[in-house]
Order: sequence, then structure tokens, then C-alpha cells
Amino acid sequence: MKDIVLKTDNLSKSFSSGGVMQHVLKNISLKLYRGDFTVIMGASGAGKSTLLYALSGMDTPSIGKITFGDRVISEMNQDELAIFRRDHCGFVFQQIYLMDGMSVMDNVLSAGLLVHRNKKALAARAEELFASVGISKETQKKFPAQISGGEAQRAGIVRGLINSPEILFADEPTGALNSKTGLDVLDMLTKFNEQGQSMVMVTHDMRSARRGNRILYLKDGVILGECDLGKYVHGDRARHEKLSAFLEEMGW
Amino acid sequence: MKQRTMVISLLAVFLAGTAVLMLLAAQDTDGRQDAVWVNEAVQSVQMNWDRLENHENQTDLDYVVIDMEGAVRFRTGTGLSESINEAVIHRDTILDIHKGGTVVGKIIIYNVSPQIFGEWKRTVLLVCLAAMASQCIICIGYMIYLQKRIVQPFQKLKGFAERIAGGSLDVPLEMDRKNLFGAFTESFDIMRSELKKARLAEAKANEDKKELVARLSHDIKTPVASIKAVSEVGAALTDDEKLWDNYAQIIRKADQINTLITNLFTAALEELQQLTVTPVDMGSRELKALLDNADYLHRAEIPDIPDCMIYADKLRLQQVFDNIFANSYKYAGTEIVLSASVQKGYLAVSVEDYGGGVSEEELPHIKKKFRRGTNTEGIEGAGLGLYISDYFMQEMKGELDVQNGKKGLKAAVRICLGGVV
Repeated sequence: MKDIVLKTDNLSKSFSSGGVMQHVLKNISLKLYRGDFTVIMGASGAGKSTLLYALSGMDTPSIGKITFGDRVISEMNQDELAIFRRDHCGFVFQQIYLMDGMSVMDNVLSAGLLVHRNKKALAARAEELFASVGISKETQKKFPAQISGGEAQRAGIVRGLINSPEILFADEPTGALNSKTGLDVLDMLTKFNEQGQSMVMVTHDMRSARRGNRILYLKDGVILGECDLGKYVHGDRARHEKLSAFLEEMGW
Repeated sequence: MKQRTMVISLLAVFLAGTAVLMLLAAQDTDGRQDAVWVNEAVQSVQMNWDRLENHENQTDLDYVVIDMEGAVRFRTGTGLSESINEAVIHRDTILDIHKGGTVVGKIIIYNVSPQIFGEWKRTVLLVCLAAMASQCIICIGYMIYLQKRIVQPFQKLKGFAERIAGGSLDVPLEMDRKNLFGAFTESFDIMRSELKKARLAEAKANEDKKELVARLSHDIKTPVASIKAVSEVGAALTDDEKLWDNYAQIIRKADQINTLITNLFTAALEELQQLTVTPVDMGSRELKALLDNADYLHRAEIPDIPDCMIYADKLRLQQVFDNIFANSYKYAGTEIVLSASVQKGYLAVSVEDYGGGVSEEELPHIKKKFRRGTNTEGIEGAGLGLYISDYFMQEMKGELDVQNGKKGLKAAVRICLGGVV
């Protein structure tokens, strides 16, 4: 029996635009398990990002309950949520949002110092993470404008992981990258997942989705189906075919 | 509180405030020094110069006596200016003390006008604050009054009109003669009951019409069947080809008449399909208001409703609950127990009373059209309520299930969850 790390009950999200209610998520009851690489797939406008933001406490649901570990985050106020996110969630976005006026290392450390006081231990953890994503000491001292998109996204991953989050949330992490650097970033994420990091990734890219062990397909705000792919093995044909068949069934 | 009272009290507060302020302005804030007391102080100090430790202040003034070296020889109290420099800054009066023709010291008489002015300022501020606060309180009070007496009854009336428009005529409008709409709401409610009467009469007329149609169709079908039978016999007996064709023609036409009559009869029964049901996604929190509206005699305690998104037509769902509550009021007249839970794609709301339920024989027919139980004598109704409610629930992809519970009739309204269909 796998350990549940996040659970939702009838999670729904509605927006009002021009007096018309838009129901983006409808009664999503979902369990996320520790150590899983969960991928949320779906067409544009299916509600993927909205779901990710609600799960990670960046947005509050209109209806329903979200339990993260043993805490009900759907009942928290914005201040409590901000502290909760800082301590328990890591984020990797399509746009990386590194701060221009700080070096790559300082970008990572500033995220860490919000939670931990021990700068020495933090720097050591940052070094270790930088080493595992292949960013040299030299690059760590550079400013965001001086590094490539691939390096920036890898730095983004390091920043997302610096506080050892319960779950790393990734919103289209390879969306802005070219094919080769995108693959590198996916390799990093896969590696961290193999080391036990729970992850939730939103994507509409099948190559990215293949990395997950559990694929959820979202359509019109409802989880239409899910597919258990098992552990990622590089170049596994059967896995690829299983995912293709699933997506075909979902009307991808 | 009438508008006039409100205006008068605001004016009164304003005038009172203005009057007090003007009185204060007219009051003379006398900051001048009393020369007689000053002389008296100087004289007494001069007289007692050698025994100042035993000197007593005979005046109203506060002062300090210093000698030519600046040392304090006498003071009437603390917090006063004790050097020439401090005295100049504080605008105190400084006078010489003469003894034997020479100046031996100085007397510094404390300037009290800043205190007088400060007190005056505080009084003005207090008066202004009091006036503003009372105006504010009057305005807020008036707003609350308007909300209670006009806005709230108006909103209630609005909801009522919407339900009437939706065809829900069984729920009377609560009347409160105290509000401005008292008479208006009463005529509104009369309109509702008249409308209901008309509706019932119409239903009765419709029913009569349908009975007529049913009877006529039976009446017509019998002779048509005879014609057909006779023609069939005739066709079987004749050898003449032309005559046989004629018989065949008569049989075909008789069949056609039969079909037409059957269609006519079913069409009369399918009128209900004209009622539109347009379900949409909405929050289950809205159910509370629907139940509140339906339970206008407050016989049930509204339970906690599980937070989820449901797929329903609000107006029709209101009618379903209106019907169920109205039935319970009419036939049971007891307390009602409500409960709500999420089960397999539905939000189930159960409504149970203590009225003993209906007999097992009648239960299967309870949702049928024009069907009324054996206990309905003397109670108005057309036997359509549960039939229509069932139809509405089906159109919303939900279910209406009526059964005997432990104490009375138990209606389970299962509303489809949003995103399930």
C-alpha cells in the first residue's frame, strides 16, 4: 500500500468572467502517492494548470477539500498557504523567473534562506544539487542573463528542490526549451524521481508525459482516465505503446 | 424611523454641534497676565528676600526666584522655567528683585496661556468628534433600517416572483405587515393563490379533455373495428376483383383511422415534455437556500451539505423540493428529517417525515400521473406533483426515489454530480 501524500475531495474551481460562470474543475477526487511521478495531461483549456495551482496551494479551490499530508490546505488563508508552500512545495515553471540582479547561486540560496537559517548547510545542499544537474561552479557565479535557457531551467530545478519539498510541481518545464535541452531537463527530473522525489508535472507533450509512472488525463475539468505506466525505463517500446493506446482511447 | 425623523435628528445634531462650537469661539481665552498678582508676588519676595526658605506663595501664580548667580532660591512647584534662557523660550515674565537699591535676583512668572489654549483646543475637538460620531451612528442606523424594511422584503419578493414564474405555486409568501411592502406582498400572495386556482382549473379541464379524448377514441375505435371486420368478411366472400379492391381500400383506411386515433391519444399524454429543464454545473452550497425556501414552515433542520459541484436546473430542483415538502406538510404534518451525502456520482438528499408513509400497494404507483392515494380526500391536489418531480429529476440525469422509511415517507432526491455526465 503506497503512502498518500495529497488527497482531494470533490475539488472544483469556477471563475466568473463577464457575469458567466466558467467551471474549470469539476468534482475532482484524487489521491497522489509518495514517490510517484504523476503526469497531468490534457488539451489546452482542460484545466491542467488550474489543477496544479490548486494542488500546490497557489490557488484556493471554489468547492471541495484538499488534504496535503495531514493538513487541510483548502481551509488555510493566504498567509498560512504561503508559509505552507514555502516549506512543502517546490515549483518549476515554463518561464523560469530567475532574479536578474542575483547570481545563479544566490537565486537558489535566497529561496532556501526563507526556510532554513543555516547558510553553510544550504550552500552545501545547493552545491550537491548543482553538481547533479551538471552546473559548474563557474556557471553558478554567473547572472541569469549570461546563461542558456537549458542552464536556467536546470537552475530552476535546483531552486525548486533546495528546500527538499514533499512534492515538486512542474508546469510544462520543457515548454520553452529546444528538443535537446528539453530532454536533458526531463532526464534530471527522472533522476530525482528515482531518488524518491514525489513529482507532479503538467504537460501536453507526449515525450514529457512518458517519464511519469502515472498518467492522469484531464478533459473539460474532469479526470477522464488514468494509466499506470510503472517505472520509467529508457527506450521501452511497450511503455510507449501503452501510453499511445491510452491517449488514443482518451481522444488525444 | 421615518425619513423626516432621520432628517430632523441629523439637523438637530448638526445645530447642537454648531451651537456648542460657536459658544466656545465666543468665549474669551484670556491669556493676559494679572498685573496685581505679579506686583504682589514681587513685593512679597522682596520683603522676604533674606528668609526665602520660609516664604509662602500668596498668589495664584507659579513662579521661580533665582539670584544673580542663577541659583534657584525659591520655587512654587516643579516643571517651571528655572533659568533666564528657559523663561525666554517659554515667554515667561521676568522681573528684577530689588533690595536696597540694587538688583539682587530675578523672579520668573510662569506663562500659563499655552495650557489654556490647549484645553480650549481639546474641548473643540471633543465636540466635533461627538457631533460626527452621532451623525455617523444615525446614518448607519438608517441604512440598517432601509436594508431590513425595504431591501430584504424586496429580495424575498423577487425570489418569490421567480418561483411563481417557474410554476411553483404551492408555497405561500410569508407576510410581514411591519414592512413597507406589507399590503403589496399580500396582493402578491392573492395573485399566487388565484393563479394556483386557475392552474388547478386548467389541469382539471385538461384532464376532462383527456378523458374525453380517451372515451371518444374508444368510442370511435369500436365502430371502426366493426367496419374493418365486416369488410374483411366481405372481401373473403367475394369473387369479384373490383369489389375485393374496394374492401381492401376500406380495410386500409380503417387501419389509418386507428393509427390516427392512437396518436391523438398519446399526444395528449405527452404534453409535459414541453416543460424545459436546463441543468448546469453549480455549487452544492446553493442547495441550502433551495431547502430553506421549500421548508417555509421550518419543520426541518438543514443539514451540512457535502461541498461538491452538482449538475442541476436550480428552478426545477426548487420545484422538486417544493413538491416534496408540500406533500409532507399536506399529508404528514410532522417534523421532517433531512440528510445529505455523496454516493456514487450523486449527491443524495433524503427527506423523511413521521407521517407513517403510504401502504405498500400504493407505493409503486405514487409517482404516476393523476394518481392520488387513499388518504387524500379533502386535500386539494391534482396528483401531478411527484410525477412532474420525477420527470424533472430524470431530465437532470438524477433520480427521485420514494419509499417508506422507518417513521414515514422517505423521498431520496439524487442529484447528479458535476462532470459525471
